[in-house]
Amino acid sequence: MIAAAWVCLLAPLGAAVAITLGGTRLSRRGAGYLATVSVATSFVASAVAFFSILGDPPAQRTHLSTAWTWLSAGNLNVGLSVLVDPLSIFMMLVVSGVGALIVGYSIGYMDGEEEERRYFAYMALFVFSMLLLVQSGNLLLLLVGWGLVGLCSYLLIGFHHERPAAVAAAKKAFIMNAVGDATMALAFFLLIQRTGSLSFDSAFQWAGGPAGSWAVNLVALGLLGGAVAKSAQLPLQTWLPDAMEGPTPVSALIHAATMVTAGVYLLVRTSPIFEAAPHVQELAAGLGAATLLIAGLVALVQVDIKRVIAYSTMSQIGYMFLGAGLGAYASSMFHLMTHAFFKALLFLAAGLVIHVLMGEQDMRKMGGLKRFLPRTYLAFVIGALALTGIPPLSGFFSKDSILASALAAGWYGQVLFAAGIVGAFLTGLYTFRMVFLVFEGEPSAYAREHFHEPNRSEPWRWMGLTVGVLTVGAVVAGWIQFANLWAPLSDFLRPVAEPLVEPSGAQEVLASTLAVGLGVAGALVAWAVYSARTIPVPQARAVRATLEHKFYFDELYDWVFYRPTALLARTLRDFVERPVLLGSIDTLAGGARRIGDQLTELQTGLVRTYALAIAGSVTVLALVFVWVK
Amino acid sequence: MKGPDLSWYLAVSAFLFAIGTLGVMLRRSPLIVLLSLEIMLNGANLALITFSRHHGQLDGQIFALSVMAVAASEVVVGLGLIVAVHRRKLELDVDKLSTLRG
Repeated sequence: MIAAAWVCLLAPLGAAVAITLGGTRLSRRGAGYLATVSVATSFVASAVAFFSILGDPPAQRTHLSTAWTWLSAGNLNVGLSVLVDPLSIFMMLVVSGVGALIVGYSIGYMDGEEEERRYFAYMALFVFSMLLLVQSGNLLLLLVGWGLVGLCSYLLIGFHHERPAAVAAAKKAFIMNAVGDATMALAFFLLIQRTGSLSFDSAFQWAGGPAGSWAVNLVALGLLGGAVAKSAQLPLQTWLPDAMEGPTPVSALIHAATMVTAGVYLLVRTSPIFEAAPHVQELAAGLGAATLLIAGLVALVQVDIKRVIAYSTMSQIGYMFLGAGLGAYASSMFHLMTHAFFKALLFLAAGLVIHVLMGEQDMRKMGGLKRFLPRTYLAFVIGALALTGIPPLSGFFSKDSILASALAAGWYGQVLFAAGIVGAFLTGLYTFRMVFLVFEGEPSAYAREHFHEPNRSEPWRWMGLTVGVLTVGAVVAGWIQFANLWAPLSDFLRPVAEPLVEPSGAQEVLASTLAVGLGVAGALVAWAVYSARTIPVPQARAVRATLEHKFYFDELYDWVFYRPTALLARTLRDFVERPVLLGSIDTLAGGARRIGDQLTELQTGLVRTYALAIAGSVTVLALVFVWVK
Repeated sequence: MKGPDLSWYLAVSAFLFAIGTLGVMLRRSPLIVLLSLEIMLNGANLALITFSRHHGQLDGQIFALSVMAVAASEVVVGLGLIVAVHRRKLELDVDKLSTLRG
């Protein structure tokens, strides 16, 4: 089982290294197949680990394997170790399973693109980083994976490095994530200072002990900062929509499998620390609720198909934060898994649409694509229904179990529950707005003109196949758990993260009824406005402007952080660097050059002068020695 | 030790060295400068051998032998240079060969 875990971790790394070193000896498509096979190997290995762990009694399913001591400084010893327990196996399955499908889809999507090998090397490295993150046996290794995930997202968002917008988006993502990495690193420093170790066990023991109070709160806050940045929650959410500059499968990978879910994983993995700092945990839930509302609202006015899906991801991760913050860990992880399926499906189906429209992403130019792409339409609608949470599709089971847990978590939970069901309404609205704009109605002039029939070659078949598998996944993934009647997943995760709330049957029914009802209502409103067009699109200009500017977060950060810093830098350059530092260096250099010029006069080129100088100097030296004696 | 006193040998040595030095500094022909250098080296050799005999040790004589070896190689290089200068039809005058002025 441990061997399987190591195979799972190292297979994608091996592929990334092989593709990089292989260079042009490996064909472009060969690189794609190699990356896909390596991630699929990871999936098989994690399935093996999963089934062998099922043979253990539930209380003894945690295995730690240390390869060697990786870092040793003073009393701090950190091993290169992998942790295999129900939570990490669950994440391994999701990451490698959905990841393999997305990498396989890329074989078709990136076909004929320049620099395909670089792309696939990055993709494999990305999956490796995420697997390292979820499998790490201590907090330091987790931070390593955390940083590598940020690096890979930077590399892949900026994959089209000839486009300035992509480069800017990549830098933005990296910097936003660096803020989170920094708070996490600070939390770890505090932890080292307090416990002298970075292992999960000692950290959890310390958090549970009486030593806690403000230090625990600070550590939890630092971890929350990292989670918020990685998962694009308020207030560090601005990088995610810009990240849509990357190729579509990259967006799918970031959203479904490898990146934004890391924050939720962290909240669940370090839940003992958060439980010892209940206010920080409540803050996490509150941030999740605020994000899901704001993202849902902003998604209503986006015109780029990928950005709508991006905001829906923020919103759904908001649900997961809400759940994890209230202690409904299993529900949160459950939603993470179902979300991985339907979000990957939505992105990849959107990728098909973009592919046949020669790279167009503006929904205003689309329309009526149902006629051209009937099977993509079917897949997209299934993804949309799952996202909205319509039974019996996967989103229904997981989202409603989060909402029911919120209902069971006291008055604070009920406030967040209200936010959650409003979010459900918004989800239905923006999701079906997208469906109707893209697929329904008469084909737009643009679509008619630019639609090009995909050649049904091998790469295209890969795209269709992976979307098909994900469609099935988006339907059935929710069936592994239903409320508290049938809860194998909760039972599986229970040894790692004991839930804090257990909703009653009545709460489950209430939450489901409201969420489904409002989701359907949202979809109906979208139908009335964007398909039947019986209600005109509301024209509230101020509201629309606010939403189109994403609640002015970018502008706020521009004013608060960028402009003062740039002003300070310019002032320092003009008044300190140029006159003081550069000036003094110029003076020194000029002086040295002048002295040198004068010294060259000494070199006359006359041998006899040199001889005289040597003889004279030797005489003087001899006299001095004699005289000193 | 037989023969004249130590100071006589040293006086001859210093005399040779001074003649050599003056030759190097005053003469313009590179050939003569080279000859004067040899005289300086031999002056130094004489002092080395004198002290070697005086102390009854062989170190000084070994030094003198290596000085001779170095002097021989130096003459080879020096004469080679002089021939090369001559071939280029330059005047054999050390004061005229001052291209390396800074």
